[in-house]
Amino acid sequence: MTMASEATVDRAAVVDHVIGAVIAVLNRDDVEVTEGTRLMDELGLDSTNVLELLMHLEDQLDAVIDSDTLEQHHFATVGTLADYVLEQGLA
Amino acid sequence: MTTVREPFVRRLRTALLGTDRTALLFLGNFEVEQRWGGDELGLPKVALSAGDALVNRMDEFTLLLAGPDDYVLLKDAPDPGHLAYLESLGVGLPHLLITDQQDPHHTVTQDALLSPGLLARLTALTGSVAIFPHGVSADEEQLAERTGLTLAGSPAATCKAVNGKIYSRKIATELGLRQSTGWTCESIAELDAAVEQARGLLEAGRTVVLKDSYGVSGKGLLVVRDVARLEQIHRKLRRRADRSGDQRLALLVEEWVAKTTDLNYQFTVGRDGSVQFDFVKEAVTENGVHKGHRMPAGLDQRQLATVTETAGALGRRLAADGYHGVVGVDAMVDPEGGIYPVVEINARNNMSTYQVGLQERYVPAGWCALARQYPLHLARPLRFAEVRDALGPWLLSAAGDAGMVVQNFSTVNALVRAGDGPADGRLYGFLIAPTTDELMAMDGEIADRLAAAAEGARP
Repeated sequence: MTMASEATVDRAAVVDHVIGAVIAVLNRDDVEVTEGTRLMDELGLDSTNVLELLMHLEDQLDAVIDSDTLEQHHFATVGTLADYVLEQGLA
Repeated sequence: MTTVREPFVRRLRTALLGTDRTALLFLGNFEVEQRWGGDELGLPKVALSAGDALVNRMDEFTLLLAGPDDYVLLKDAPDPGHLAYLESLGVGLPHLLITDQQDPHHTVTQDALLSPGLLARLTALTGSVAIFPHGVSADEEQLAERTGLTLAGSPAATCKAVNGKIYSRKIATELGLRQSTGWTCESIAELDAAVEQARGLLEAGRTVVLKDSYGVSGKGLLVVRDVARLEQIHRKLRRRADRSGDQRLALLVEEWVAKTTDLNYQFTVGRDGSVQFDFVKEAVTENGVHKGHRMPAGLDQRQLATVTETAGALGRRLAADGYHGVVGVDAMVDPEGGIYPVVEINARNNMSTYQVGLQERYVPAGWCALARQYPLHLARPLRFAEVRDALGPWLLSAAGDAGMVVQNFSTVNALVRAGDGPADGRLYGFLIAPTTDELMAMDGEIADRLAAAAEGARP
């Protein structure tokens, strides 16, 4: 297996973790969440539930997220949050 | 405590300034908690600023509270169609002042401080006008200093001190008022002790909530349903303290108690320490976030007495701590009809404050009203004329009729104007009808019509 394909596999797994955390926070099973889903515009994620989302994500990844390193753009979509996890080496 | 009825704004002027002859300059610096709590250590913060642009345009709520002799300072001119509509209802509009420039992420006060032309105009009003902000922070004090205008209200330091949820909890304890089981945490050591107590609640099947002392209502809180989550947040807070060497905290740990209804009541503490009860309303919330108010609140005599007695006791206590001004209190009704009379004290204006002028002008005796927000997903800004056409007969056309007054229109377009793509806006409406059933039917019809209008503003 090449490095590139390993990275691809990792990313897909991280996206699944992010989706799992998002669904846990929303506590709804009537929404379809994909890599391109916009967290704030489409799902209504806001400052009231973002901390809970990060804690669910920590559970999924078995890692610790430092919220000081997160910026607005990381919360654009499921995919951008997955990219943040990969950038920080959390997966 | 007195309950004499005269127009709220006149009572306000007298309470704050000792005379009703000085005009007020209304300043809608919403979410002032962000300024009060800027240096406080609460729950881990995540930088989400997307909603700021909308919150900052809530400044327009002042338009319908100010009297015709008063001044209102806004970040941008209101939609001309909205102003014309309000005038057609017979609203005596206040004098409008607009900041020289506006940054969507600034409060109206922050924009004003960067507006030399406006500052000069305000300076010319010295002696005849007093600044009346939504809440007093260091920014509003600076505006008063820069213009020479009097600040109607208490100093920022006093306002900050009495607005913390830790303060609410401490004085409720001191006054013997009913509240949920809970602990104040002003240090990591106090958090450690509170976590041990909260663990017991969770093991007994209860739910716990952690609240930032300076969180905006419904925000800055974390609901915890199991011990693992409690330990996780405990570790996070301890780790932050270990890293920074700062052991301070400004946090509450409380039991998340059962409730059937959220209440919001208001009283005004005068400069002379007098306390006037203003109103009690039923708050409409979704997922803990404020969505609107229903009035009247539908309390029985015993419940109402608990609320008004608590208002008197809290008002006297706040006056003793040097506060005068408007005070809103969040409270709850439990499933047995008992009252939790103080969940948090907000010693500033509240959303419901801005509804008083509408109640006085447009709600006939015995009728009911609903103040709420309607979400609108927009690809381009919507004009008031489009909303007026969409609402048709449901838009209030005269005092004494049923219908909706558009209370804030600038929040409809705030985000779509601030960003570079489709965005969510909010229309704040004030609905009036003879009965609750008619009110609810009107609400459904208006929601459908506004959704259709928003659909028309998409590609």
